[in-house]
Amino acid sequence: MDKQLELLQGTLDLLILKAISLGPFHGYGILLRIQQISKERLEIQQGSLYPALYRLEDQGLIASEWGESENNRKAKFYRLTAAGKRKLQSETENWERMVDVIAGVLRTTPEEV
Amino acid sequence: MTLWHRFRSWLRGTFQRSRIEREMDAELRFHIDAYADDLVRAGVPREEAVRRARIEFGGIEKTKEECREARALSWLGQLWRDIRFGLRLLMKSPGFTATAIIALALGIGADTAMYTIVNGALSWDLGLDNRDQIVMVRSSDLRRGENWGVSYPDFRDLRAQVKSLAGLAAYQLVPVNVSDESALPERYYCVQMSANGFSVVQHKPLLGRDFIPADEQPGAPPVLMLGYHVWRDRYGQDPDILGKTVRVDEVPRAVIGVMPPGRRFPEDTDLWVPLIPDAASEKRDSRELMLFGRLRDGVGVAKARTEVAALSGRLAAQYPDTNKDITADVRPIMEITGVYFMKPLFVALFVAVGSVLLIACADVANMLLGRAADRSREISIRMAIGAGRIPILRQLLLESLVLSVAGGFLGLLVAVGGLKWFDRGMGTETKPVWLHLSLDRNALFYLAAVSIGTGILFGLVPALRLLKTDIIAAMKDGGSGITGIKFGLWVSKALVSFQAALCVILLTGAGLMIRSAMNLYAAPLGVNPVDVLTMRINLPQAKYAKPESWIAFHENLQRRLQALPGIATAGAASQLPLGSWIPFGVEFEGAPNDSAEPPEVGGLIVSNNYFDMMQVQGQRGRLFSDSDGKAGPPVVIVNQAFAKKFWPGENALGKRIRTIEDDSKGPWLTVVGIVPDILQNFRELLKHDPLIYIPFAEKPERQMFLIARTEVPPATLSDTIRRELQEMDANLAAYEVYTLEDRIASHRLTVRLFGTICTVFAGVATALAAIGLYAVMLQAVSQRTQEIGLRMALGATRRDILALVFSLGIRPLLPGLIVGLFLALAASRVLRTLLLGVSSTDPVTFVGTVVVLLLAALIGCLVPARRATQVDPMVALRYE
Repeated sequence: MDKQLELLQGTLDLLILKAISLGPFHGYGILLRIQQISKERLEIQQGSLYPALYRLEDQGLIASEWGESENNRKAKFYRLTAAGKRKLQSETENWERMVDVIAGVLRTTPEEV
Repeated sequence: MTLWHRFRSWLRGTFQRSRIEREMDAELRFHIDAYADDLVRAGVPREEAVRRARIEFGGIEKTKEECREARALSWLGQLWRDIRFGLRLLMKSPGFTATAIIALALGIGADTAMYTIVNGALSWDLGLDNRDQIVMVRSSDLRRGENWGVSYPDFRDLRAQVKSLAGLAAYQLVPVNVSDESALPERYYCVQMSANGFSVVQHKPLLGRDFIPADEQPGAPPVLMLGYHVWRDRYGQDPDILGKTVRVDEVPRAVIGVMPPGRRFPEDTDLWVPLIPDAASEKRDSRELMLFGRLRDGVGVAKARTEVAALSGRLAAQYPDTNKDITADVRPIMEITGVYFMKPLFVALFVAVGSVLLIACADVANMLLGRAADRSREISIRMAIGAGRIPILRQLLLESLVLSVAGGFLGLLVAVGGLKWFDRGMGTETKPVWLHLSLDRNALFYLAAVSIGTGILFGLVPALRLLKTDIIAAMKDGGSGITGIKFGLWVSKALVSFQAALCVILLTGAGLMIRSAMNLYAAPLGVNPVDVLTMRINLPQAKYAKPESWIAFHENLQRRLQALPGIATAGAASQLPLGSWIPFGVEFEGAPNDSAEPPEVGGLIVSNNYFDMMQVQGQRGRLFSDSDGKAGPPVVIVNQAFAKKFWPGENALGKRIRTIEDDSKGPWLTVVGIVPDILQNFRELLKHDPLIYIPFAEKPERQMFLIARTEVPPATLSDTIRRELQEMDANLAAYEVYTLEDRIASHRLTVRLFGTICTVFAGVATALAAIGLYAVMLQAVSQRTQEIGLRMALGATRRDILALVFSLGIRPLLPGLIVGLFLALAASRVLRTLLLGVSSTDPVTFVGTVVVLLLAALIGCLVPARRATQVDPMVALRYE
């Protein structure tokens, strides 16, 4: 396993939105999903997931309801609201532009300036 | 993120705190358990798995706290926190809170009540959908500057030629007796209107058809349009009313339609009939008609006015005999209504009540300033540990908003109660149609806006003053920041001065109204109104064509009424005291017959026993005897004012005068007596005008007041008298049945009402000003404790200290007092039309105002002064 990367400031929200966009999950499921799709290369403090979820819910980007987990236990499931979907899309575009810009800047050689 | 989501989350956060906590616990526990289960499945022993799951999750309590914060970040949550903080603070000082809320409730409540009345009056639309397009056309005499109606021929010509109006209609208001089989005869306001009237104002009947041109042709079958309320009240909404016959002043008329509810234009019409010109109305100088028209779309009043003036100029040239110097004028309908003329008065009252509210605001601002001194330390600490100015300002404003909104809620009760009280004060009188005495949606919006507006207004000053606090100084001396105090005191004094100025204006207004009311009620009426019942009758043309029949009717009626038990005497008069008169031109025998206009005086047509019945003692000569008007030369009685004006220093008895009406001269009348002045003037309630009294038999009138002096309470006889009338003529309606005392009270109602309103406003304002001064002085004394202690230690007596406090209290008042007196001098002119026997610059009132205000100030200073004298010098000097 490669060394895990520390999460960039502000990217956890984006990851959560992305994970939930694949289907409703409870908190633990979201964590597992992020780790799965990131191939466990991101280090996420488990406890830090929840304040982020509460914040997103407070902003109306995600909504929650209680349901049954895979092993028949009561769990709180999160899903994306319409506002959350729009936010995910715009944030994804922002992120890609940002990556392009930063990468371009970093690739710059002295001759090009 | 929608507002709704935030709101929902805030609601949940606020009201379901414990559930949220439980859910949070359950959610986090699920996470840890699920992870532990996964670890167990991967081969880790259970105990070790649980331990690792807990460690890797991190601090559970820390996570929970962060979750809570994530929620509380929403601004609504913070708002709620601030409001609760404000509420807690206000609960801690209930005395301050109660005083402030009551002051605001009085101010806001009175303001809302007045807004309801003024808004109702000014937005009244006369039952028109297009009131801004409707104009009235009247003719006026350029030479004499008098206004009249328009004659039928002039109306016909104007209607045919005018271009700027989409329609022009004529009407005439005639009270009528209505009788048929469905109920007792009743008196209604009937409008004779040209057939195009409804289409000019674009009204359509609810049932039946509109008038058509055929209806206004001479000889057309008589028809009738009913007002909705007549259809409802008299005919029980009879669906088969169309085609039924109703006798209107004895003429049978077929009902052709019913107007919708609220449609009573023009004036307060009950019934409409077509206006049919006859020989009399075809005369061009018989200017009896009122004209209304609708402006064409896009045409202004000014243009219509120019056109109509030009048209009437052409008529004047064409018919110089009748129309010389006669012009016609166009005015918006709203300017003709009574409400329009009362506008300045409404504005004055609205300003007055607004002043009361401002005084209340100044009070609360001053009290908050007083508290600010105590709170500057708290605010300093909060700012020192990093609180921003905006959140602090927001929180301070929220505190004052909590106060003003509470005041607003209580003010709602004050407004409703005030309107109820006003309603009762109006008595049983029929209220003007524009008078709305219930709070509508507009009034509630107004109340909400005023509550929030005042909260910001009086909250901003103390809040800004607190933000100016010098943190270091405040923290260091443990008291208050020096700059803040100075600023606060300066503002406090300005507010007190401002309150004083407003109070002076209100007090002078109230004083003038009180003086007027005192003059009014002290003035002798000239008659004894106790135990007198009055009602009106009008003998219709169709049945009572000749004046002889009127005389016979009244003689018969008088005989029958006086035979009834409980009635001492019965008679009649054309007008009652305070009820105006019939204008007559008079000519004096032997006076040089110059070309000047004959002087106009008031005349009353009375039954021969009128003066006995009214218990008036003759001054000179004799009163009317039974034979006057029947045998011997015609006679007249004049009042003192008449004798004084026209025959100063001469003996009036035996002199002869005659009346001139429309150029027709009556017979010479010999003056046989002079009676003391009786108040008759309807507008200037204290004025004695020259009057003549003519026996009914000499100059009979169709429309008279029946008068009965009773031996029992007069109101108990009204049905007896009506029954007696019914037996004489089953179609005759008796209307406006009131005791004379009630009538006189209703004539004086305006003065009493405005007097009471002004007095209440001024009283509340003065009380509020005293409370404000009290709050300021209490603060001033507590800040000067040290100084007072020092003075006492140096030998100042109790009296010196009292003088110090009172002079401190009065001094800021003085500039306001002086400015207020000047403003009041200007403002009281608005009241001039209501003043009776007192000038708008009445010195007694102005001196009284100053005395009342200074007394209120002394009362406000009393408690602070007492507190100052109780300062213990030793304690005070050690203080701080």
